[in-house]
Amino acid sequence: MQREVGTLPLAPALRARLAAAGFQTAQELLDTGPCGLSKEIGISKEEALEALQVVRQECHGDAARTAGGSGATRKCTALELLEEEQTQGFIITFCSALDNILGGGVQLTKITEICGAPGVGKTQLCMQLAVDVQIPECFGGVAGEAVFIDTEGSFMVDRVVDIAAACVQHCHLIAEAQQEEEHGKALETFSLENILSHIYYFRCHDYTELLAQVYLLPEFLSQHSKVRLVVIDGIAFPFRHDFEDLSLRTRLLNGLAQQLIIIANDHKSAVVLTNQMTTRIGQSQSTLVPALGESWGHAATVRLIFHWDNGQRLATLYKSPSQKESTIAYHITSHGFRDVQPPAVTHSREGTELNPRKRPRTEEEKQ
Amino acid sequence: MAAKKLRRAQLSQEMCERLSRYQITTCQDFLCLSLLELMKVTGQSYYEVQKLLCKVSRACAPKMQTAYEMKLRKSVNPSSAFLSTTLHSLDRVLHGGVPCGSLTEITSPPGCGKTQFCIMLSVLATLPVRMGGLDGAVIYIDTESAFSAERLIEIAASRFPTYFDSDEKLLCMTRSIHLYRELTCCSVLKRIMSLEEEIILKKVKLIVIDSVASVVRKEFDTKLQGNLAERSNFLTRGASVLKYLAEEFSIPV
Repeated sequence: MQREVGTLPLAPALRARLAAAGFQTAQELLDTGPCGLSKEIGISKEEALEALQVVRQECHGDAARTAGGSGATRKCTALELLEEEQTQGFIITFCSALDNILGGGVQLTKITEICGAPGVGKTQLCMQLAVDVQIPECFGGVAGEAVFIDTEGSFMVDRVVDIAAACVQHCHLIAEAQQEEEHGKALETFSLENILSHIYYFRCHDYTELLAQVYLLPEFLSQHSKVRLVVIDGIAFPFRHDFEDLSLRTRLLNGLAQQLIIIANDHKSAVVLTNQMTTRIGQSQSTLVPALGESWGHAATVRLIFHWDNGQRLATLYKSPSQKESTIAYHITSHGFRDVQPPAVTHSREGTELNPRKRPRTEEEKQ
Repeated sequence: MAAKKLRRAQLSQEMCERLSRYQITTCQDFLCLSLLELMKVTGQSYYEVQKLLCKVSRACAPKMQTAYEMKLRKSVNPSSAFLSTTLHSLDRVLHGGVPCGSLTEITSPPGCGKTQFCIMLSVLATLPVRMGGLDGAVIYIDTESAFSAERLIEIAASRFPTYFDSDEKLLCMTRSIHLYRELTCCSVLKRIMSLEEEIILKKVKLIVIDSVASVVRKEFDTKLQGNLAERSNFLTRGASVLKYLAEEFSIPV
């Protein structure tokens, strides 16, 4: 109860008055009562009562926290986390090589960033994930819904129809091969119309709309509790033009990143962002690096970079807390994201796109 | 949406006045501030500020639609989803033709036929819907002065001799193609910004810009340091306005 008055979430003018009148802790405020408070600092009785209610709410919250109550706290043992992570599902991408390097697929409660040059397949992967997140659990999916926030306008419904149809057919084939009853039941709800009606699409034209939408997302997600994937296609686009004040941009981006992390954790959903590439002009050469600067690189937990190599599309896992850096090739067919036939895994030791600041991983030699 | 005044976001009058003293008049200004700054500026408590934030966000957030609704809307009139180029193999590869509602870029080395293709598309757009056109006007922004009206008539007459059988029909078609010659980046940008009203007035169904690269390369020398940022600024701003126009009016650009 020894909370200082300055830390309470009251209006600044009120706080200044309380400080001037000499109040130091929350307990003093509660002891004084609304009438005494209003007389001492010269505010109306209603305002005093309101302020006291806020104080009481805060102190109750504090007490629950210090008594070890769950819910408000975010602490748990590593064992609990391990159990949670093992039972958590992944969102598969239908490209087994990509799933392998990601450790099973796109992880829930983490932010994954996909960077790439234009035309390499970022939006395709986002559309594939928006369909894959809805795969029923008996087929290995997470049976969730998807929110798609589009800032570039590259979402094509017809393409999603193609991808969804291929996915449904794939599940039908599995069901036929395995002949289990729950497969049949799940397939009834896993139809084209259902898939499309569970993709919630928002079109944001500039960064203000994007900010507003992200502020409103927690409310939306609590209304639609089955959402397991939030895709923001093109987080770089609205921030790259019309921004003279770079420090404001960094601040807004960091705020966005924080909110997305909170959303990912609270609602157990995966957040996928796509980023553009920009050219960094060095002393003698220029390299393609992800846009939005170095400080944005810290926002995402997992970073995938898509690039071309002689007409072959490659995906590199650039940053991940649990998987090692590797590159695989993938294909985009009319059915969506797929492996290259036969699935080939190339090792990225030749130093094509390695970050010079990272020490290259050396394979251990077996004697 | 961003420049929406806070007054229209249903904030109380005194709140708006108080905010305007700090030069916060639009939703954009409001949302760019952090929570602490908002508390200081509005003089409200933390919870109140969060409620205000939600109110303002709701005022300028985009509307939600499911993918299913989008598909239904598209399938209601399938013919208006694409502008067929009448080159069958190209149409097949493009899944129907030049898509309406998004930007299409045509690039090639000089002399391959980009301007010719644009002229042909302009003719196609003026054709009635039953012949595969869009039955509307065309806005043609020409930066290289490569548009030739005679060639336009030649293409129209030889491609569709049965439709353009009279001079009057040809003249009617040429009247619906609005040509703007812009020679600098600034004028191109200004022209793009002013297109919204023209599209509604003249019932435009196709926008062609020939070409974006020539005017940009003329003015911005990439060897100078500051120019790269300015150039990409200009390009992205133009692109976002064009995207907005394409989507809003469902026309190909």
